Amino acid sequence: MARDWQPDFERLLEEHQSMVFSLAMRMTGDRGLAEEIAQDVFLALDGNLKKMESPEHALFWLRRVTMSRSTDALRRRKVRGMDLWVEIEEQHGAPAEERATPLGVRLEGLLATLPEPQRAALVLRYQEDLTPDEIAKTLESPLATVKSNLQRGLKLLRAKAESNLKEFVRNGRAVGDA
Amino acid sequence: MDEPLEMPEPMDEFERELRQSMLRRPAPPSLKRRVLDARSRRRTERLHTRVVVWQRLAACMVLAGAIGGGFAWHHVDEQRKGEAAKQQVLTALRITNRALNEMNARLAARNRADGE
Repeated sequence: MARDWQPDFERLLEEHQSMVFSLAMRMTGDRGLAEEIAQDVFLALDGNLKKMESPEHALFWLRRVTMSRSTDALRRRKVRGMDLWVEIEEQHGAPAEERATPLGVRLEGLLATLPEPQRAALVLRYQEDLTPDEIAKTLESPLATVKSNLQRGLKLLRAKAESNLKEFVRNGRAVGDA
Repeated sequence: MDEPLEMPEPMDEFERELRQSMLRRPAPPSLKRRVLDARSRRRTERLHTRVVVWQRLAACMVLAGAIGGGFAWHHVDEQRKGEAAKQQVLTALRITNRALNEMNARLAARNRADGE
């Protein structure tokens, strides 16, 4: 069957660079590493460009490969005994104008302390607005695992926010419970 | 024990704040240029590699042709030498045959003279 959509590499790069970079950045916590991963992902896309069937397929592929490369990078770093999130804001933080609200930055910092599978699920859920089913396909994980990671991750993050961020504690209760 | 799998209730303020803090960050301005540069470099390298592979292939074919040609020439040369040797043997046999015939004729003539 003939395909009427022809992938345009530069256009895909322009459209999805911030998505790929943000995913890698939130997964690894290292701006330099995130840039490397983003570059690798787009070069891999260039090599697989003929296989892209539609814009949605390209987007799905980019998300999947970015998450997979980020996880690989985290594991490699872990093997080397490095703690990625140490002094991340001081050393690799984005310029001030790129940042979200101070509360957002701190919340993002707390997200970084979550276990990797939970962080991956939450990043795809809240950054990319994916459903658990879509997250499961992207991460190539069982749906039940993804749902469990989402629930546990959110619960853990909420607990960390309650104990660390005063904005989330009103009259002794988290605002989420109000 | 595993928790139930149903998703949490509709988004609360915490989740809204989380979503807000998780907006996509703009990629570094240099990322696109670096990707395009790396892509162009990689293509040049691939092209170079392809040229080198073809050059090596061509060199191998020339070498194989030369070796094959050498063997063929050697074979033809051997045949030619064999043919020449055969012709020499035949010539030698013809000469020997003629000499023997002459000798035979002389002996026959002498026998006839002795008998008379």
